[in-house]
Amino acid sequence: MKAARTLFAELFPFAVAVAIWQALAMAGIWPKVLFPSPLEVAQTFAADLASGVLLVNLAVSLKSLLLGFVVGCAIAVPLGYLMGLSRASRNFFDPLVNLLQAIPGLAWIPFAILWFGLGQGAVTFIIVMSVFFPVLHNLLTGIRMVQPVLIEAVRTLGANRGDVIRHVIFPATLPNLMTGIRLGIAFGFRSLVGGEMIASTDGLGYAIFNAQQYFQSARIVVGMLAIGIVWLAMDRLILRPIEQRTTMRWGLVREGLEQA
Amino acid sequence: MTDLLVARNVSKTYFDTVANDNVVALEDVSLAIRPHEFVSVIGPSGCGKSTFLRMVAGLDKPTAGEITVSGRKITGPGADRGMVFQEYALLPWKTTAANIEFGPRLKKLPKAEREAITRRFVELVGLKGFENKYPHQLSGGMRQRAAVARVLANNPTVLLMDEPFAAVDAMTRQHLQEELTAITARERTTVLFITHAIEEAVFLSDRVIALSGRPGRIVADLAIELPRPRRWDALVNDARFAAYRDELTRCIHGTKA
Repeated sequence: MKAARTLFAELFPFAVAVAIWQALAMAGIWPKVLFPSPLEVAQTFAADLASGVLLVNLAVSLKSLLLGFVVGCAIAVPLGYLMGLSRASRNFFDPLVNLLQAIPGLAWIPFAILWFGLGQGAVTFIIVMSVFFPVLHNLLTGIRMVQPVLIEAVRTLGANRGDVIRHVIFPATLPNLMTGIRLGIAFGFRSLVGGEMIASTDGLGYAIFNAQQYFQSARIVVGMLAIGIVWLAMDRLILRPIEQRTTMRWGLVREGLEQA
Repeated sequence: MTDLLVARNVSKTYFDTVANDNVVALEDVSLAIRPHEFVSVIGPSGCGKSTFLRMVAGLDKPTAGEITVSGRKITGPGADRGMVFQEYALLPWKTTAANIEFGPRLKKLPKAEREAITRRFVELVGLKGFENKYPHQLSGGMRQRAAVARVLANNPTVLLMDEPFAAVDAMTRQHLQEELTAITARERTTVLFITHAIEEAVFLSDRVIALSGRPGRIVADLAIELPRPRRWDALVNDARFAAYRDELTRCIHGTKA
């Protein structure tokens, strides 16, 4: 019963959005090619799913996204802790990071193509560049926010520097790291789609771009929806369960602030 | 009996970035604490009493003089000088039991021994049934009980307490004070306790050391010869308790003028 109610609460906003969309489409204000109806989109979705096209593009895109995300985090996370914990490395890297930070991932496309050629290699590279900065930036904020009294308390219990990092700094920075990871994936998606439109011949971004060339407006929406659904699935199946088991359980982060 | 903790001519000067000037927080403080003694240091805000405690903990360094514990000069923090803070400072990501077990775990004690220690101190501070709760699920009083248990479980040479009951409500505070005197008497813990509350210091201590306002200097060192166990209902109308309180009040206020 509770599960059914949760499912209803989860689906209700989508039902409302689809209803409005369908009503607008049926009102016939715009030509079909500019404003496809939910029904058409659903049909195209089913057809592309059945033919396997959708899953192939999805697989290509997810592979680039995942690889770019892992590489981006693999550089950003150790660098973040290094910069947070050592003044010398902070003084060295901070100006460089700040200079590069404002450059959008997509601005790397020309070089990405020159270095990796057209294809998913170039796309993966710009995803790395897009994931890196939000992860690093949020992690650094998290390190700055660690309460000194926690470090002092464990030091009077006999903790050495390694113990402090492991038992205080890692868990204390987890809420900000999770925020960085969320933003990193979101920025990664933007670069994925933009990158595939310009630098690739497959993937969801390419499919959206290609559909536009043939005025297949329902297929454009299918591609957009696929991205949304993948993100939603990642959030509900991976990120949220992690947060519920850690930062929320520890009382560091709340669901919301209704009581305010 | 030989002294456990000795401070010799300890001074602390620090640079105040707001006032853009050197501030003498503590001037020429010498004192000695014997084993099993409960000593409170009191004084007005800014007299350097917390700074003194932090120097004993090894979290700050004296500008002049030295502090020794068991004959060894303090150069940094260590498990022999566990500290309880006003803001509890429990690790939010560890349960009550895991917080209390933290010190024994750092010492790499065997699992069975760690668990026995944890059980003992959970019971000692009355937190049985709350072992698996996280700090945010506990009341302020319970958090401070857990913080005291966490330090005691680590078997420190001296227990350092920095205004530990200042953040809890008045009723809870009296309970915690009574529990603390009972526990430290039973465990024969040596305690160095910082507070600005004179009555609290008299109630808890074997000895109260009063510091003057900035720069902090010792203006009184008073032995409190009230019988133990101590309870508020018995002491609140006790003439000797009132006499100690009034004498310390005079000492602190006398230096202000």
